[in-house]
Amino acid sequence: MPESSETTVVLPAHLHARPAGQVVVTAAKFTSTVEIVYGAKTANARGVLALLALGATAGETVTVRATGPDAPQAVEAVATALHTTE
Amino acid sequence: MSGTVGLVLVSHSADLAAGLRDLLRQVAGDAVAVTLAGGDDDGGLGTSYELIRDAIAEAGSGEGVVVLPDLGSSVLTAKALLEQHPDPKVRLIDAPFVEGAVAAAVIAATGADLDTVATAAEEAWHARKL
Repeated sequence: MPESSETTVVLPAHLHARPAGQVVVTAAKFTSTVEIVYGAKTANARGVLALLALGATAGETVTVRATGPDAPQAVEAVATALHTTE
Repeated sequence: MSGTVGLVLVSHSADLAAGLRDLLRQVAGDAVAVTLAGGDDDGGLGTSYELIRDAIAEAGSGEGVVVLPDLGSSVLTAKALLEQHPDPKVRLIDAPFVEGAVAAAVIAATGADLDTVATAAEEAWHARKL
């Protein structure tokens, strides 16, 4: 039974190209599957175009969800990336 | 630059190729080799067999190279070149130019292999903007 973990992030900036790229690069360091959920949309953190297509804007809340052996660490790292990129 | 798949941007316009590379650097960082074959041999709009050949050689690392053409003669010239000089580590990709390059560059920056980078670029056909 793989571990799963999630947290929410209030975006300090639009989830535009640069932060989306940071999310992909960060998530790739973990073996867990990482997803970003915004409203009714879910994007795998492997796909920068899918992340951009979420259309998540500054001030909105997204959920970072991971499933796998390093899920808590993956969620924390991706949430940090979302907090700190501009 | 070693350790990641390289990208070659083939465009009719040197400015378009250079501008796209700027965008890729911002989204994917500097870890991925992105080389350009923009315009013709005289710097005008067009395609150059030699520029494409040189850009592929420049992008080459042990991990492989994906070649992304914009349209028309960029596609035909790159295709002809790779048919004459086939290399399993150099892959001509059918993908939307901007979206495919962004998807490929970001995945390449994670250290993904050639198949994964190529697939990411091709999947850009299915990425909706809205």
